[in-house]
Amino acid sequence: MGIPSNRDLLVCCLWAGATVVVVAVTDNLVLRTALGAPMVFLVPGHAMLRALSVRTTSALEHLAYAVGASLATGVGGGFALNAAGFLTPSGWAVWFWAVTTVAALVAAHRRDAPDLPAWPALAKVRLWQGAIIALAVLVATGAYALAVRDEATYREFRYTEFWILPSADGESGRLIVGIRSAETQAERFDLEIIVDGQPLAVFRSLTIAPGDTWTGQIPVPVLAVRQRAEARLYRPADNRLYRSVSTLVPPF
Amino acid sequence: MMPAHFIARTEINPLQAAIRFGWALIGPDLSGGSADAAPQQANSGWIAVLCLTVATALLLVVAGHAAGRRDYELAPLFFWCGIILLVVPITLRVAQPTLARGERLFLLFLLAEALFYCKVVYSPTGFIAFDEFLHGIAADDLITARRLFLSNPLLPIGPTYPGLEILAMAIVNLTGLPLFVAGTLLLIILKGTFIGALFLFFETISGSPRISAIACLTYMGCSTFVIFESMFSYESLGIVLCVLAFTVEAASRDLVGRPRLKALGLIALLLASLAVTHHLSAGFAAIYFGAMAALEALRRHGPLRTHARTVVGFTALLAITLPLLWVRAHGNTLTGYLGPSVETGFKTLIGKILGAPTPRSEHLGALTQPVGMRLTTLLAILLLSLGLATGFFRSLAMAAPGGARADWRPIQDILRRNWRDSRIVLLAFLAFGFPVSVAFRLTNAGWEIGNRMGTFVFIAVGLVVAVGIVHFWQGRARHGWRRIAPAGALTVIVLGGVTTSSLNPIHGRYRVAADQESIEPMGIETARWTKEWLGAGNRFTADRINRLLLAYYGRQDARIKIAEGIYSARIFEGEELGSDELYALAKSDIDFVLVDLRLSTAPPVLGFYFEPWQPQAETPISGAELLKFDEIRGVTRIYDNGWIMIYDMRGLHGNS
Repeated sequence: MGIPSNRDLLVCCLWAGATVVVVAVTDNLVLRTALGAPMVFLVPGHAMLRALSVRTTSALEHLAYAVGASLATGVGGGFALNAAGFLTPSGWAVWFWAVTTVAALVAAHRRDAPDLPAWPALAKVRLWQGAIIALAVLVATGAYALAVRDEATYREFRYTEFWILPSADGESGRLIVGIRSAETQAERFDLEIIVDGQPLAVFRSLTIAPGDTWTGQIPVPVLAVRQRAEARLYRPADNRLYRSVSTLVPPF
Repeated sequence: MMPAHFIARTEINPLQAAIRFGWALIGPDLSGGSADAAPQQANSGWIAVLCLTVATALLLVVAGHAAGRRDYELAPLFFWCGIILLVVPITLRVAQPTLARGERLFLLFLLAEALFYCKVVYSPTGFIAFDEFLHGIAADDLITARRLFLSNPLLPIGPTYPGLEILAMAIVNLTGLPLFVAGTLLLIILKGTFIGALFLFFETISGSPRISAIACLTYMGCSTFVIFESMFSYESLGIVLCVLAFTVEAASRDLVGRPRLKALGLIALLLASLAVTHHLSAGFAAIYFGAMAALEALRRHGPLRTHARTVVGFTALLAITLPLLWVRAHGNTLTGYLGPSVETGFKTLIGKILGAPTPRSEHLGALTQPVGMRLTTLLAILLLSLGLATGFFRSLAMAAPGGARADWRPIQDILRRNWRDSRIVLLAFLAFGFPVSVAFRLTNAGWEIGNRMGTFVFIAVGLVVAVGIVHFWQGRARHGWRRIAPAGALTVIVLGGVTTSSLNPIHGRYRVAADQESIEPMGIETARWTKEWLGAGNRFTADRINRLLLAYYGRQDARIKIAEGIYSARIFEGEELGSDELYALAKSDIDFVLVDLRLSTAPPVLGFYFEPWQPQAETPISGAELLKFDEIRGVTRIYDNGWIMIYDMRGLHGNS
C-alpha cells in the first residue's frame, strides 16, 4: 500500500522552507534542532529517493536509504558551499531547501514513481507496558544526568594555578599575575614579585576559595635592557615556597 | 536377535565415526536448518521488560564509571553486571528461533544504541578518544574558518577526507548545538542506520530475518563495534556509507532495466560520499565491488547474466575509480599515512611466522587486562572460529542453486562456477580474514591492522557464523540445549566485542600516556587557560595527550615537530638540552612548551609519551628531564599548577 498523492513531497518542501526561515530569524535551540536535525538526516534524502524513484520494499529500507541519501546530500553540500564561499548557517539552510525542492519537483513530475512502502503495523502496547517503557526512558535519562553531574563535580587532582604574563594589551610596563584555585577548601597565600632579584611588590594573606580567581596588574619599571620578573607564591600554613613563575619584561 | 542398525553401528570404527562427525560438523548440509517462523506480532510485554532491563543495566554502567573514577573496588562489579544485564537478555531473546521480525529489529536497535550509550557515558560532556580529538579539532576549525581543506598537523590526512566534519558543521550551523552534542546526535543516527542497513543487507542475501539478526549480533562481537565505530571519527561515517552501498546493491540484484539504473544512481551517490569521507572504508568498498564483479564474470549460469555483469561491473568501476580520483585530486597523502603501519605490521607478522628475531616494538610487555576479560575474549574467538567452521560450507551451499541438499553437491556446483548469488560466495571467502586479523592482533606492530580489518571482515564473519548457528547448531529445535547453547554462545561473542573494545572500558583514575585514560579535568583546564590568557593560535609543543587538549580546548597550534625532521620528543628527553636541540629550538617558531610532570610518575601505558614510532619506554621519564627548561637562559616558566608547567620560549628566539 502506498501513499496515493505527493503530500509527502509538499511536507518536505514546507519543512525545508520553515528551516530556512527559522535559521534566519531565531537562535532558539529547541526550534532549530527540531527543524534542522531532520533536514540533515532525513528530509532531503526522502525527496532524493522519490526523485530517483528508487524502489523500496519496507519502511526500514526506505528510512535507511533516505538517511544515506541525506548524508550524501550534506557531504556534497559542504563542497558546493565551500566553492561558493557560503559555508554559513543560512548557506546550509538554503542548500538543503534547494536540494529538497528540486528533488520534490522532479519527483512530482515523474510518472513511473513507485509507491512508498507501507508503515508496519505497530504492536499493541498495554498501559502497564507503556508505563514500564516510560520508566525505562526515565531511568536511562536519569543515569545520563548522574553521569554528567559526576563528571562535573569529581576532580582527581586538586591544585592551584599560578601564572605571570606581560600585560595582555601590550603595555610593556605592566605584569599580570594570577592565582586560580581548584582545591577542596579555601587557601591563604602570600605573593611576592621580584624583578631582576629586587623585591617589587608583596601581597599578604590572599585568600582564594575553590573556583575563585585572583589577578593583579603590577606596574614595573621599564629599562633599556630585558629584565626577568619572578612571582613567588608562599603558603603561610606550612611556611614554604609553594609555586614560582617568571617572565621577561621587554626593554623600551 | 539384534536389530540390523544396531549391528551396523557397532561395526563402524572410531576413526570413521570421527571423520563422519567432522564432515557433518563442517559439511554443507542445510537440511537441519529451520525456516523462519511464520510472521507474528512482536511481543510488547517482552519489549517493555527488556527496555527496563537495559535502563537498569545502563544505570549500573554509570555507577561503574563513577566508582572507577574514585578507584573503588566495586567499580568492575557494577560495570560488568551492567554490561551482562544489557547484553545477555537481549541476545538470548533475539537468537530465539521463533520471533517476529519487528521485535528482532527493535531489540537490535536497542542493543546497539545502548552499547553506544555505554561509550558516551565514559565521558558524557566531551570527546575522550584520541581520534575524536583529531576530528573535533578539524570540525572546530571548519566551523570557525568556514573553509574546507585547512591543514591539521595532528592528522595530516584528515583534510583530504572531510565528510564527517562537513556533516557535523551542517548540524551545528542549522541547530545551534555545541559540536560535541551535534557529533553525538550524528553518531546516534549513524549507529541506528548502520544496524538497519546491516540487517537489510543480511536479510536480502540470506532471505531470513533470523539469520540476519544473528549475523548482526555476531557483528557486535567485533572489537571495533562498541567504541571505535562509535567515535567521532571518519570511519564511523565511512562504514555506514559502505554498508548502505552494499545494501542498495544487494536489494537491486533482481531488478532489470531502469529500476536497476535508478538504484545505481543511489549507489553512485553513496560511493561518491564515501570516497571523500574515509580511505579504508572506500578501499573496502572497492575490494568488495571489484571482487563481486570478478565473481559475476566467473559465474557460469544465472538469469539476466549479461545485464547483471554490466551493472555490477559499472558499480565496481565507480567504487574503484572514485577514491582513486579523489586521492589524485588532493595529492597522495595516503601512502605516507598508512604505508609505514602496514609495512611494519606485515613484516612483524611474517617475521613471527618465520621465526625471525623479534623487532624492538615487540619487546614491550603485553598490555594487560583482567583475567575475566581475557578469558571472555579468548572464548569469543573460539566460538567464532567454531561458528566459522560450521558455517563456511553451509554458506557456500546457500549460494548454490537447487536448494538445500544433504550432500556435497552444492560445493561441487560452486567449484563448477555455478552459484546463485556472488555476494554470499564472496562473503564466505572474506570470512577467512578473521584468523588473519586475529594473527595481526597478536603482534604490537600489527595490532592496528588486525583491529581495523575486523570492522570489515566481521560483515562476512557475521553471515557465516549466523548460517552455522541457524543451520547446524540450532536447527529446528524449539527446546533444549540446542536452543539455549547457541544463544549463550552469541552472548559470549557480543561480550567479547566489549572486552576487546578497549584496554580498560571502565573510567578509572589518571594513567600516564594511556590515551583516553590520561584525559581528565586538570589537563583540560590548563588547555583552556592558554586560550583565555595567551589567546588562540600560539605555537605549542607538548606530550601526545596535552597536544590534543591544547589543540582542541586551547585552540592552539600544537606541533609534533619543532623544526623539519626534529620531533618534539627530542627536546623533552635527556637531563640537558643538547646543543643541536637548543639550536633547533632557538631557530624554531615554537612559542611555548607545556611540560606535564605526571609523565615522570610511571612508564607510559601504551609504551610511548610522544609518538608511537618512538623507542618503547619501559622506565618513566625523570622529573629532571622535564624540568631542564628552568635552567635555560631566555626561557621562563609562565604557568605552574604543581603538575603542569608552561614555558615561554619566545625569549629564546628574541621575539619577546
